[in-house]
Amino acid sequence: MVSFVTARPAPQAAGTVCSAVPVGRKFLNTHTKKQTDMDPSEVEFLAEKEMVKIIPNFSLDKVFLIGGDLGPFNPGLPIDVPVWLALNLKQRQKCRIIPPEWMDVEKLEEMRDLERKEDMFTPVPSPYYMELTKLLLNHASDNIPKADEIRTLVKDIWDTRIAKLRLSADSFISQQEAYAKLDNLTLMEINTIRAFLLDTLNCMYKLRSNVQ
Amino acid sequence: MPCERKPMRYGHSEGHTEVCFDDTGRFIVTCGNDGDVRIWESLDDDDPKFITVGEKAYSLALKNGKLVTASSNNTVQIHTFPDGDPDGILTRFTTNATHVTFNSIGSRVAAGSSDFMVKVVEVSDSSQQKTLRGHEAPVLSVTFDPKDDFLASASCDGSVVVWNIEEQTQVISWPLLQKSNDVTNAKSLCRLAWQPGMGKFLAVPVETKVHLYERGSWDHVSTLSDDLLTQPINVVSWSPCGRFLAAGSVGGLLTVWDVNSKLCVERQKHEKGFTVCSLAWHPSGSQIAYTDTEGCLGLLDGLGTSTQVAAKKPAKDYDDLFDDDDDRLMDEGLSDTKSPAKKAVGWDDDDDDFLVPATGRVKNRGAFLDDENSLDTGSLKLGQDKFGDNNDDAGSSVAPAAPPVAPLRPVYEGPMPTPPQKAFQPGSSPAHLTHRFMMWNFVGIVRGYNDEQDNAIDVEFHDTAVHHAMHLTNSLGHTMADLSQEGVLLACPSTEELASKLQCLHFSSWDTNKEWMVDLPKGEDARALCLGQGWAAVATSTLMIRLFSIGGVQRELFSLPGPVVCMAGHGEQLLVVYHRATGFDGEQALGVQLLQFSRKKRQLISGEPLPLSQKSYLSWLGFTAEGTPCYVDSNGMVRMLNRSLGNTWTPVCNTRETCKSKSDHYWVVGVHENPQQLRCIPCKGSRYPPTLPRPAVAILPFKLPLCQTTTEKGQMEEQFWRSVLFHNHYSFLSSSGYEIDEDAQNLSQKEQQELLMKMFALSCKLEREFRCVELAEMMTQNVVTLAIRYASRSRRMALAQRLSEIALEKSNQMQEEEQEEPEYSSTRRTSSGQPRVTNILDNMMSSKKSAQLSSSGGKPSKSPVLKPLAPKPKTKVPCAESVFKQGSISRCLCAFRPKTGFQLWLEENRKSILADNPDLEETDVIKEAMGRFRTLSTEERLPSTCKDSLKFYVGVHNLQFS
Repeated sequence: MVSFVTARPAPQAAGTVCSAVPVGRKFLNTHTKKQTDMDPSEVEFLAEKEMVKIIPNFSLDKVFLIGGDLGPFNPGLPIDVPVWLALNLKQRQKCRIIPPEWMDVEKLEEMRDLERKEDMFTPVPSPYYMELTKLLLNHASDNIPKADEIRTLVKDIWDTRIAKLRLSADSFISQQEAYAKLDNLTLMEINTIRAFLLDTLNCMYKLRSNVQ
Repeated sequence: MPCERKPMRYGHSEGHTEVCFDDTGRFIVTCGNDGDVRIWESLDDDDPKFITVGEKAYSLALKNGKLVTASSNNTVQIHTFPDGDPDGILTRFTTNATHVTFNSIGSRVAAGSSDFMVKVVEVSDSSQQKTLRGHEAPVLSVTFDPKDDFLASASCDGSVVVWNIEEQTQVISWPLLQKSNDVTNAKSLCRLAWQPGMGKFLAVPVETKVHLYERGSWDHVSTLSDDLLTQPINVVSWSPCGRFLAAGSVGGLLTVWDVNSKLCVERQKHEKGFTVCSLAWHPSGSQIAYTDTEGCLGLLDGLGTSTQVAAKKPAKDYDDLFDDDDDRLMDEGLSDTKSPAKKAVGWDDDDDDFLVPATGRVKNRGAFLDDENSLDTGSLKLGQDKFGDNNDDAGSSVAPAAPPVAPLRPVYEGPMPTPPQKAFQPGSSPAHLTHRFMMWNFVGIVRGYNDEQDNAIDVEFHDTAVHHAMHLTNSLGHTMADLSQEGVLLACPSTEELASKLQCLHFSSWDTNKEWMVDLPKGEDARALCLGQGWAAVATSTLMIRLFSIGGVQRELFSLPGPVVCMAGHGEQLLVVYHRATGFDGEQALGVQLLQFSRKKRQLISGEPLPLSQKSYLSWLGFTAEGTPCYVDSNGMVRMLNRSLGNTWTPVCNTRETCKSKSDHYWVVGVHENPQQLRCIPCKGSRYPPTLPRPAVAILPFKLPLCQTTTEKGQMEEQFWRSVLFHNHYSFLSSSGYEIDEDAQNLSQKEQQELLMKMFALSCKLEREFRCVELAEMMTQNVVTLAIRYASRSRRMALAQRLSEIALEKSNQMQEEEQEEPEYSSTRRTSSGQPRVTNILDNMMSSKKSAQLSSSGGKPSKSPVLKPLAPKPKTKVPCAESVFKQGSISRCLCAFRPKTGFQLWLEENRKSILADNPDLEETDVIKEAMGRFRTLSTEERLPSTCKDSLKFYVGVHNLQFS
């Protein structure tokens, strides 16, 4: 029989999952943490609510959880479950994970090329693409064909987007604009730059106001 | 001229390929794009001798042990034959030669080249060359006049030219062909051919026809054509006797004409439709070798004996040739009957050929008449022959008016039989694949690997709780597998030494021996197998089905009426599909048997035809998880057994409707009735999924193909009938003694009633009151009450009135049932209990059932919904009405209280009993009647008037008690 974890472990503050550590991280850490800050692990926690298809190898009736009912689980039959449960089952070898549709070398290559070509941010396949790639590839790389290529491709997309983000932040500051509008940013990307950008702007404001 | 087309074989790499026979006819010699000349002893020669002549060989000619080839180094070279030693270079061109040919005696070689020139070279002395200039494009082909005066050539400039060799001048030129700039772009290779012997005709392939030009006058005297020839003719060739002309065309059509009659005597199609680019007659005239542009070599064998006869005397004068030939052919036609006497005549004839032709002829006639009755080649031909004879006597020899026509093979144009589909395991991909699924079912997946490194079988279970995954080496070469919760069943076909084997891995066994194996008798091959609960079945090539227990005990065996197609097992049911007959025009004629091995072994479906979609074959067979037989045909139509409609098959889903592209298919792996799921694997562009990457299961919904499902009414009707169909298994399961999920059943009943109510409301809205009543008849009593309320609220009093009648009827029925049940069952118990053979198993079963009944006994009375939707007995309507008028339900019940089966029977049969024994007292009558009644079967006991209603009770009774 399968026993479920009924409580989902909340993210540890120390756990950094995202390798793309924000540039201003050190700078940021020396300051007191603000309300607006969001740790990468917290973003990841949110990403774990995304649904993913698994093929269970056990049989279980519906389970009733606070977040909603799951199941019934039929062996061999694909079913949608949240990522946290999928990973938990996978670690106990109770299922195979079917990668999301976009997690496919061809589709990602197309996306990467588009991302490189466009000046603006292109729509991403999933609002948690980075987190999901990390999570699934770390825990279920045996269920994902061409895992290494996918890892590289997603990293490429991420790098391109972050570069764009920095560039736009740069032009935003250099042109002394009052506001900027950025579409198609994911939560992780916003959080990567937010703390640094806000602090920097505050600093600059201070410096500028001192000058005047 | 019936001839046999031998299968094509690989000769050279693809590209232009040429063929010829050596002088003796012993060898077939080919050259091709790979630059080799191959010498084949026969078509089956797997190790032909080869001579490499260059990078590419464009053309070859062979005569008197000299092999002349045109190769890619722009030379025409000689090799000795058959040794293959180089024997010098005959001539050179500035580009490659396109065609080389010998003259009739082999002293000269003519070669045409892409540099517009034709050269004629003495074989013995290559310095003696004659160059024929005048073509304005690459030369396509060259041919010598058999008398060596002329030479004909065809060129890409569209002209066919006859040259005087000595004077090196053009005699005549015809603009016949389409112009092109290179041999490779030419529509046709236009291989000319001069009639051997006297060289009377020059044959020129022009588009789809062959023109014959007369030597000397150079007049276009006749044209050979055939309706079937739609693409240009590439090459023509005369038979050695000069009587037949063979042509090979683009698109692979081979045609042989009799030149005298201008009739087509033989047609053959290249098996793959590749372009024929060379053909050669065997010196005997009985075979034609041909090659195609893909480098393959083919052979037509057994070309009419007439050609052989004609070939026997090439030296003879034409007139004689034709004259005699007709007689001979008649004889030949007769010899088709193959009687030994005929052969003798043939022999005689040969001897007589030169000596006494006249007597030979008379003899032939005699034989011919004698045999008239035994002729089966057609009397039509006979008449023609006679007619031909007369003409011959008159002396028209150039073109005999009525030459013997070798009849074309009779063409049958009626329905063609379909090749019967091979036996297969449902849920497996084809056996020729190296990596394949041997079985994918509810339980798990069996994969077979058969490549260089490994011959193995992987067994994996969907539910790891059943068993862990297994890896077996497949040393026996198993090709069939089935998987159940209890074991894996494997079978291999027999080899030369080993018998066909059945192997069972009985992993659920509680002892230590988890495996058993059985050899099938010699000459018997396993064709299909399946596993049920506690048993295994294997269908063999001897049209037998052998049953085994899962532990390996041999059980029953029985014969099938036809070769098995596939089998499926579930619980105690075995479903077998076999070939019932030969199907025609793409249809399969399949039959199906459904057997049940429960306590009462019986055949539920005994060899009825299995309905398939048009021109389709069976692609999957199995049971739903709940145990209802189900199958899928190659058109993607899923059909399910409807047990409540006399075991008919209802289409429940068309998987092709959901396919995006035409080549996509769904590979069905399982069917579930509750929840309604069709589990299948979508396959892009194929019928079967690959083993890697691991395919994912998709779920398709069911949809009955009812009319107008876009409308609300159609949708609800579809839902209702689908719900009814997919809940048939409850009644089946309970009737065969399984426990059923009562909650789910009640839920489904509720769903059906809700749908009925919705449909009722819809009909009400549409003012269809008659339809409302029809729907109400399908409802249960409680729902009818609801319907009455609905009707009265929407102010349809007439409707409400009718509905209340129905409601009353239904309540009556229900009470009847309740009262009838105990009474009837008691009578049956007593009456049928005695003669029955009671064994231990029997008692166990019945006690189990009664216990089961008592445990759920409270329910039926509480929930009337359990009652199946059966047609009500119409005869009772007036009674019910009259009772309704009196307004007393209790009285109605009294009046309606049904009699026991015996009472009813007695009423009917009292007269006959009294007639037999008129002096009996009332009590004696009853005793006598009791005696008679006991001897009757259940069916006969039913009095005719009440048969309908009682049958219904019996049905209900069986449902709840058996």
